[in-house]
Amino acid sequence: MTELDLSKKVADRYLKREKLGEGTYGVVYKAIDTKTGQVVAIKKIRIGKQKEGVNFTALREIKLLKELKDPNIIELIDAFPHKGNLHLVFEFMETDLEAVIRDRNIFLSPADIKSYLQMTLKGLAVCHKKWVLHRDMKPNNLLIGPNGHLKLADFGLARIFGSPERRFTPQVFAPWYRAPELLFGAKQYGPAVDVWAAGCIFAELLLRRPFLQGSSDIDQLGKIFAAFGTPTSSQWPDLVCLPDYVEYQYVPAPLLRSLFPMASDDALDLLSKMFTYDPKSRISVQQALEHRYFTSAPLPTNPEKLPRPVPKRESVNPRVSEISSREGPTVLSPPRKSRRVMPEREGTEGSAYQSDKYGDHGNDKLGPEDTGGRSDQAPMSLDFSIFAARPPNRPTINSADRTHLKRKLDLEFQHPD
Amino acid sequence: MAANFWTSTHYKQLLDPEEVDVVQPADKEKGITVEDFKLIKMHMATYIWRLAPQVKVRQRVVATAITYMRRVYTRKSMSEYDPRLVAPTCLYLASKAEESTVQAKLLVFYSKKIPSDEKYRFDIKDILEMEMKILEALNYYLVVFHPYRSLAQFLQDAGQSDLTQFTWGLVNDTYKMDLILIHPPHLIALACIYIASVFKDRDTTAWFEELRVDMNVVKNISMEILDFYENHRMITEERISAAFNKLALKP
Repeated sequence: MTELDLSKKVADRYLKREKLGEGTYGVVYKAIDTKTGQVVAIKKIRIGKQKEGVNFTALREIKLLKELKDPNIIELIDAFPHKGNLHLVFEFMETDLEAVIRDRNIFLSPADIKSYLQMTLKGLAVCHKKWVLHRDMKPNNLLIGPNGHLKLADFGLARIFGSPERRFTPQVFAPWYRAPELLFGAKQYGPAVDVWAAGCIFAELLLRRPFLQGSSDIDQLGKIFAAFGTPTSSQWPDLVCLPDYVEYQYVPAPLLRSLFPMASDDALDLLSKMFTYDPKSRISVQQALEHRYFTSAPLPTNPEKLPRPVPKRESVNPRVSEISSREGPTVLSPPRKSRRVMPEREGTEGSAYQSDKYGDHGNDKLGPEDTGGRSDQAPMSLDFSIFAARPPNRPTINSADRTHLKRKLDLEFQHPD
Repeated sequence: MAANFWTSTHYKQLLDPEEVDVVQPADKEKGITVEDFKLIKMHMATYIWRLAPQVKVRQRVVATAITYMRRVYTRKSMSEYDPRLVAPTCLYLASKAEESTVQAKLLVFYSKKIPSDEKYRFDIKDILEMEMKILEALNYYLVVFHPYRSLAQFLQDAGQSDLTQFTWGLVNDTYKMDLILIHPPHLIALACIYIASVFKDRDTTAWFEELRVDMNVVKNISMEILDFYENHRMITEERISAAFNKLALKP
């Protein structure tokens, strides 16, 4: 009752509800679109104090999302200024793929994994077809809507990659999803970087934990080499030309099968093609979608039937299984999650599902917090002892420091060419 | 031509010439004619070309900025959206959208250095307020395609790469007109190549025939560009200030 009284109509159209979270560039509210009756998420973009107008990251997101309309990409429904702040209206999403992967109550069948991967790749294919690199692919940025549809979100790092000679910053993606060419400092790169990250997400779906959890750029390369062997010049001829190339001690590749004992042959074949070292020979998103993995049995699960986390409070009508009662197993999540503002759940039916997703913009973007939270967590279901055999920890690279990175990114904007 | 133009919002937003040459009612009341309207837009496009090198942005940013400005005036009046503020703000917004941000204070600083009267002086605050209004007027569509990339490809394909400088200049001049709101950029590029090959006596007929584009459209664009050059000689400072004076009238 009171909530309805308190809710204000914004821009003559939206009934503002509870706060969903807070990110680096603004607060996110849940709202009802009175024009369509749809539940939406409104991102209020804070205008920076540096007198630089509309936030650059927000502008990127607006620019690209207006071009990318697709069932597997988050929809930017509307944008409007209100009291001097720009507001972005997105479709409301229940949860994200990270929550699905972390939820120990959820069993993901091979068909479920196939479905989630297929939706991820379909969204990515649309981006690449329109010459857009996402550059921040990770489970946390893959949102899941009320009907089970997975959608790519957070285009704050995305770019158009039109001309081949353009140079970009290699400091993109959360470290665990960074392709080897980026770790070696490549400034000219293409859609293959998104494919590598999608491969990491595929692996994460299979393993139910992040696949390559490096603690620094160098350690990340160590993890990659431990899994796939040190790349040879025949595998990757351009490797030695990359800016930050250093010679690594040769490590042989273990059998991929030994890392993913439960995966089918088709899954392993696709996985190995997504993890091809040489970006020029790495499979493209379109080729990946045409891979026999997606046409062989079992066929991808219908999105509506995919398992999703059960909303915590209102488990009156649990969707997934009865096991997830309140005393259910603890979901191990990164510490940053605890800082998120959770929706107040009094009353309204729409708030049954929490979506804290929008809250964490930038907090986790390339940030070191990720690593701290997850790396020591995962109970390993598989034998990862090979990773323990790697050389002792090398000094941590500071490039994982977010403020430093942001400065680097900003610099790039000032010197365009 | 990048394969994605046909699915872009730029393509979907292309207008008919009749839709572009519409003077908004508020401006009409002040006696602004279609000629005045075109003149002011041309003048402001030139202003952006002059301001841009000071703040060191790429040509692409300039082209995008002018496109934004022209799009704004298909929906908004010059009485409400002062062209002298809209122009630098479009450059500011375009620099962000094209990933080579220029600081607002830099823009304000250099706009004061360009010799022009005090009506062109603005504060950072004005630019930032106008930025939001322009975003709204553009309906948040920010991706713009330009003829430059296809121009280079076409010239190479036609074996006329030595015409690059000449045609490039022609393309730059097309931004003094509304062509970018009306035609796909690659057709503008072709029209410029067509003019150049006629002007420089190059036989490109066979090459054009093989392209399988509607040559009537290309020829029409070329004619428009030539008409513009013809009329351009008649444009004087007086005519421009007369147009601005009308705009300054109280309704």
